[in-house]
Amino acid sequence: MKRVLTVVVLIGSMALNLGIRPSYAGEIDILLQKLVDKGVLTPGEAQQIGTETKEQVKSEIAAGKYSSLPAWVQNTKLKGDFRLRFQNLHEKNTNDISKNTTIGRIRMRLGLENKVNDKIKVGIGIATGSGDPRSTNITLGGSQAKKTIILDYAYGKYDPLSWLSFTGGKMLLNDVLWEPTDLIWDTDITPEGAAIGINKTLSPKTSVFLTAAPLVIVDDTSTTSGAMAYLVQPGINYAINDNLSLKGAVTYEYFETKDTAASSYSKGQNTKNGTSYEYNYSNLNPALEFSIREPFKALGLNIENLKFFGEYVNNLQVSDKNNGFSTGFQFGNAKIEKWGDWQFRYIYAMLEKDAVLDILPDSDRYSGKTGIRSHEGILTFGLGKNTNLGIDVYRSWNIVGTSAKAPETLLQVDWNMKF
Amino acid sequence: MKVFSKLWVFGLLILGLAVPCYAEKIVVEGSTTVLPIAQKAAEVFMNSNPGADISVRGGGSGVGIASLIDGTCNIADSSRPIKDTELDKAVTNGRSPKANVVAMDGICVIVHPLNTVEALTGKQVKGIYTGKISNWKDVGGSDEKIVVISRDSSSGTFEAFGELALKGEKVRPDALLQASNQAVASTVSRTPGAIGYVGLGYLTSSVKAVDVDGVKASKETVLTGKYSIGRPLFMYTNGAPKGLVKQFIDYILSPEGQKLVEEEGFVGLK
Repeated sequence: MKRVLTVVVLIGSMALNLGIRPSYAGEIDILLQKLVDKGVLTPGEAQQIGTETKEQVKSEIAAGKYSSLPAWVQNTKLKGDFRLRFQNLHEKNTNDISKNTTIGRIRMRLGLENKVNDKIKVGIGIATGSGDPRSTNITLGGSQAKKTIILDYAYGKYDPLSWLSFTGGKMLLNDVLWEPTDLIWDTDITPEGAAIGINKTLSPKTSVFLTAAPLVIVDDTSTTSGAMAYLVQPGINYAINDNLSLKGAVTYEYFETKDTAASSYSKGQNTKNGTSYEYNYSNLNPALEFSIREPFKALGLNIENLKFFGEYVNNLQVSDKNNGFSTGFQFGNAKIEKWGDWQFRYIYAMLEKDAVLDILPDSDRYSGKTGIRSHEGILTFGLGKNTNLGIDVYRSWNIVGTSAKAPETLLQVDWNMKF
Repeated sequence: MKVFSKLWVFGLLILGLAVPCYAEKIVVEGSTTVLPIAQKAAEVFMNSNPGADISVRGGGSGVGIASLIDGTCNIADSSRPIKDTELDKAVTNGRSPKANVVAMDGICVIVHPLNTVEALTGKQVKGIYTGKISNWKDVGGSDEKIVVISRDSSSGTFEAFGELALKGEKVRPDALLQASNQAVASTVSRTPGAIGYVGLGYLTSSVKAVDVDGVKASKETVLTGKYSIGRPLFMYTNGAPKGLVKQFIDYILSPEGQKLVEEEGFVGLK
């Protein structure tokens, strides 16, 4: 044992000193082979020492490369994406007259996260956009006018324990809640306020999470009542086995909107009393996602992942037109990482007019209104590393009152690039 | 405001429930190839160490390494070395993955004992399994159709053979799939034109192992890396193993642990 340890130390030191030159890996193999030939090491010991040493050198080089960078670079992560979109909207209005609108749009997002110390991080993101909370798109045109950049998010995050975090500012949606679809919250929204997050592994198969957050929602701060929302979301991840898993959560959200001036971003479907909201929105929202890994393996079909998901929402403050739900499935590759990876997702959604506050739902589903039904199909195809093509089609229509359905079909073809 | 107060009380209650206390235990996650070694070793180790709590699960090498980087497992099983991108991510997350080689995976190419072919090149093995070669006469044998036997796609041996011998190409669709190493050996021993592959530990006198690229499959040629259809199997830890993690890895590397490794059809290091 002493003999092997001595060899490990000698080879290890040699490799670490010379590790920057790959040719030495071959020399280490020759040295180990000589030690095997002389009976100092067994072939198994030589294999173990040789492989572990090469791996150690890789690890040390990675650590060295990292530590040689300036401190601010070590502590900063930069990320972003760019999207080029072709969009066609076909609308039929109440008089059954058709209208086609075709536009080109771009979206750029650039974010950085800086580690202040081991427990605190600051995240800042800028993006294209006009300030709409649900969109960072900019429409091309306007005589080549320069486009505006807005502050997308800015937050501070304190992680006192590996499973506990406190976040405050204009936050990322993922730090505030989990949702299987964008029925209630458009994924571009960056909520404002504070959030406490817990994510705890209870067993190899089970982890639980909890978020509690007071949020500033309505942009009218001139009144002392309202303008705030409170959210709590307990949830669970459960791996039934290596191939089946469940994720579920029940969210309770309370929006103090009654008698508050309606947001300028309101889509006008919620019940109003003059220019103010008639109701508070007190949403109970259970949600579930069921994932199956390699579901058709027995049939010889190479589908990596299949998911079924759904969520329901009920506004407890209102007795009529107060429900909504979405349900759907997704199959294909779990992630789009390279050429040929693909994914298809389908969602059916229904939102009654006072189910949720109408400044929140997906802005592309009937322009983000409530009082709608909608089908959505999305096909994503990998074009290479960090780039993909997305084709997203919505077929949506109005369900408010006795007025016509006024259906619309929205086609979006996206070229996405991430960095 | 009453609703608000109730909500926070509710939230705090859940917070309290979500923070139970735990006894020390370790989580082993990753490669499905290494999974049988980890499962068997954990079972025997826990029998002789009743205080130890070792949870073992698969998911694949990438999943295991990602969990090690995220700190949700103590040991990442892997049938491949860690990638540079994974190392960079580990370093930025303050982790230092340490490779622990626990066994070698060596796969023998076998034929019927009466087959006159004694050796194949790696290219010929790939050609036979991907459908480019279908008659033994094309590789120096008699004029006889090659019956290709493979493991089913859920096996770690299938995965390893696909990576090491077929370089990621798919097995021909007419290959007969078998559920175990023993079933492959048994089918090959009964079928004169058959070719199959089994873990080195499953080689018996009822079949003939052919040399690949001029190298005979043996424990020594796999351990020295001379035999091309072989690879090290890893258990990655965050830094040098300590405590229960060290005890468990030391057990796998002990003569008793290495015996379990060979019983599972892999090549032991001792």
